[in-house]
Amino acid sequence: MALTQIRNFCIIAHINHGKSTLADRLIQRCGGVSDREFRDQLLDSMDLERERGITIKSNTVSLHYKAKDGREYLLNLIDTPGHVDFSHEVRRSLMSSDGALILVDAAQGVEAQTVANLYLAMEHDLRVLPVINKIDLPAADIDRVQEEIDKDLGLDALEAIPVSAKLGHGIDELLEAIIEKLPAPTGDPEASLQALIFDALYDAYRGVILYCRIKQGTVKPGQTIRLMHTGKEYDVEEVGLLQLKRVKQDELSAGAVGYVIANIKAVRDIAIGDTITHKDNPAPKPLPGYKEAKPVVFSSIYPMSTDDYEDLTKALEKLTLNDPALTYQKDSSAALGFGFRCGFLGLLHLDVIQERLKREYDLSLLLSAPSVQYRLTVEKEGVVMVDNPSRYPDPMHIIKSEEPFIKASVMMPEKYLGAVMELCRERRGVNTTFHYLAVGRVELTSELPLAEVLFDFYDRLKTVTQGYGSFDYEMLDYRETKIVKVDILVNGESVDALSQLVHVDNARPRALHYCERLAETIPKQQFKIAIQGAIGGNIITRTTINAYRKDVTAKCYGGDITRKRKLLEKQKEGKRRMKMVGAVEIPQAAFVAVLKTDES
Amino acid sequence: MNPDRSSKSNKPGLYVHIPFCSSICPYCDFAVLTGNRSRQERFVSHLLREIDLADGKMRGFDTVYFGGGTPSFLYAEGLSEIAKAVVNKGEKGWLDPDCQWFLEANPEDVTPSSLSVWRELGIRTLSLGVQALDDEALPWLGRHHTVEGVRRSVGLVREAGFDALSLDLIYGRPGQESAAWRKELEAAVALEPDHLSCYQLTIHERTLFGRRKREGEVMEASEDRQAELFRFTHEFLAEAGYEGYEVSNFARSEAHRSRHNQKYWYHTPYLGLGPSAHSFDGRSRFWNEHSLFDWQKKIDGGGSAVDGRETLSDEDLLLEAVMLRMRTKDGLDLAWVRERFGIDFLKVNEDLVAKLSTDGLLELDEDWLRPTLDGLAVADRLAVAFNVGTAAT
Repeated sequence: MALTQIRNFCIIAHINHGKSTLADRLIQRCGGVSDREFRDQLLDSMDLERERGITIKSNTVSLHYKAKDGREYLLNLIDTPGHVDFSHEVRRSLMSSDGALILVDAAQGVEAQTVANLYLAMEHDLRVLPVINKIDLPAADIDRVQEEIDKDLGLDALEAIPVSAKLGHGIDELLEAIIEKLPAPTGDPEASLQALIFDALYDAYRGVILYCRIKQGTVKPGQTIRLMHTGKEYDVEEVGLLQLKRVKQDELSAGAVGYVIANIKAVRDIAIGDTITHKDNPAPKPLPGYKEAKPVVFSSIYPMSTDDYEDLTKALEKLTLNDPALTYQKDSSAALGFGFRCGFLGLLHLDVIQERLKREYDLSLLLSAPSVQYRLTVEKEGVVMVDNPSRYPDPMHIIKSEEPFIKASVMMPEKYLGAVMELCRERRGVNTTFHYLAVGRVELTSELPLAEVLFDFYDRLKTVTQGYGSFDYEMLDYRETKIVKVDILVNGESVDALSQLVHVDNARPRALHYCERLAETIPKQQFKIAIQGAIGGNIITRTTINAYRKDVTAKCYGGDITRKRKLLEKQKEGKRRMKMVGAVEIPQAAFVAVLKTDES
Repeated sequence: MNPDRSSKSNKPGLYVHIPFCSSICPYCDFAVLTGNRSRQERFVSHLLREIDLADGKMRGFDTVYFGGGTPSFLYAEGLSEIAKAVVNKGEKGWLDPDCQWFLEANPEDVTPSSLSVWRELGIRTLSLGVQALDDEALPWLGRHHTVEGVRRSVGLVREAGFDALSLDLIYGRPGQESAAWRKELEAAVALEPDHLSCYQLTIHERTLFGRRKREGEVMEASEDRQAELFRFTHEFLAEAGYEGYEVSNFARSEAHRSRHNQKYWYHTPYLGLGPSAHSFDGRSRFWNEHSLFDWQKKIDGGGSAVDGRETLSDEDLLLEAVMLRMRTKDGLDLAWVRERFGIDFLKVNEDLVAKLSTDGLLELDEDWLRPTLDGLAVADRLAVAFNVGTAAT
């Protein structure tokens, strides 16, 4: 197919602005799927994505479209994830596209994410076409959204296509606009091969399936390819297009978006963003844009039942096959047994992994409080990176502590500005500024410690802006800070899984929060239980659970000892499921209550 | 201290469950029902069959205990027939020569004529269901007697020359002040019983009180209040010469401890007859059909009335022993645990015993681990806390 009849594009949007619904409609309109096969939000393949209405893992589909000019076009729709934690994936989707539809909710208007994604798209020289979705909503305000598109995004508002993805309105107009306004790919099929890997998927039968955009040259089965960053070489077994299912082709050449299967065992063997070239006649240099996704949030995961440790190990192995951004290494806790210290791209990534482990692998888990990675300068040792409280060195020997900062951006109606500024101040934000985007709409930026965002920030933001604030961030740098390790002691014994590294100003409130939740959830026992928060040997908070004073049945049910023993066995069984800290029984519910990450 | 007292024996006991009452008390969750004469007669004829059918493997009973329900509510001839059947079976070696007979009775059923019937049957110890010595509380508890009635009954019992008298009381009623309970205890002690059972009010789900509790009309006392009353009861009665040898049981002397009930607490075998009665043969527990109807049906079918059975593992036995002994003042015989189960109980529970001793819940007295009064008050909790496995956790 001629390059002029190909369009490679993606849809970028804020969460819930209807990206997946629009994708479904485009697929349906182009006959990419029969009605019988049609499921809402086809591209969101994980149940979790369907449920939350967000796309986590990008998907891609090639569509045949017969335009009004009578010609047949191949539309490659490259899906993008819709959350800040996954901006590396967004970036690679953009790099594989030549144009982008930027989707704006007709009622919600432009959000922080929309702006962030637009900047990304512009960084990659994409032609951007605005689309106003949900025009069927009673609250839709097309005039206002057009104004925001003009002012906040700096795009031609008159070009914006109004659609209702839900009802299928405006889809034909949109398809014609894609043909007309978005550029066709360029490239030379005869040049040496340069193909960008923008995603990869593990298939139990075929190994790793590489999703790629061919920028230059041609790739076909039988050839030997080289991945330029890793230097590894593979023999191509199959290439093809992604039309919801894989459709085998003889070759893929410049301008194409498709898949390559080359007997690769695991996703971790390759790097997303890497460039494919030929072993013979390789390209002189790889395509730009390779950037390793680095975990910034860390948490220890323990199985509720120690018997599940093996299953957890297997589940993590499997998850990393498809998600190399997830890192893990063995960890152990006196209270919770063996587990893993895991690294995540952000809180949502953590949440998604946790949910997937629960649902897809049926595991009950406990997660320690999420932590950032601190940069510590230690006497004799030099600079060490520490995210795990159990690895925190003796504070006597720490010369300097630094923590990661982010540049946070919050967009909101003007009236919430004061509350959000106060929230940023509480969270140790610096250089907080704001500017008006349009009448009544403000974008605030603030430099915040990442650690402050990990602890119920989303919730608080949602509350203070009554749900109208949208949040985005990017990593900035490391800055000097003062952190301490807070331990939680139960009858004098430290519960290692509850230790945390926190800023000194947060030590007391955080310790109190833990102590109080423990006091609420640890049942009374035969002795008094002291629950304390401590920094080193210094007790900073204290709560007490009183002992049982009366716990005995008056009657022993005559000769029916069985009944009483069964009751006792039941209690003992309950106790068996408790974690022992010294002689104190701590139910898992207490750990769950304490470690519960506030819903983001 | 030697735990082997005259009141305790290793010989098996026989329990006969009489499921009838004149009315159902609002706190009671035992297998009881009201029954007219024909229903009672049908029950008696079935019980005679059950006695006849008993295989005699368990024999040499040194207690016969009529419990219920209200055995004194059963028509006199019925009770006589049952007692005779037991005695007849006893001629074949079923009963020990030193067998003691017990009967639970309601104060209002105590009359000179009923007493003479019971005496004739060989009953030597009566246990009176007094429940309260407060004329306002008695109707609330669903009882039909008065304080004066109790005094009269006790007088009659004494006159009739019974060996021993025990009174059952319930305390911890909603709104019952310590002073009021003290008055009742004083009144009880004034009656000079040989034995007292003082049960703290427990509201069971499937009782009238249980329903009223769900509806928010009745509440048990707070835990602190219960603890105070518990301590007060034990201290008051100890002062009055009644040793609290078990959570709810008090005796004027060691000889007056309940020979029959102690069998339940010390893994001495016992055979239970009648609906819902439980038995233990030293290794297995088995129990009869719970409802009168099902129990009769099984007997009509010509077989045993047993509904279920379980054989206890060593761990079950030890768990029960810990659970039951923690309810007794004597506590747990560590030498026995060592010999019987090969477990060094102290070693397996080292930290816990140390902690509980420091906290004043336990005392280690040579080879006996005894709950203190505060320990007795949380005996169920202690039973859960101890490790009865072989491995220390």
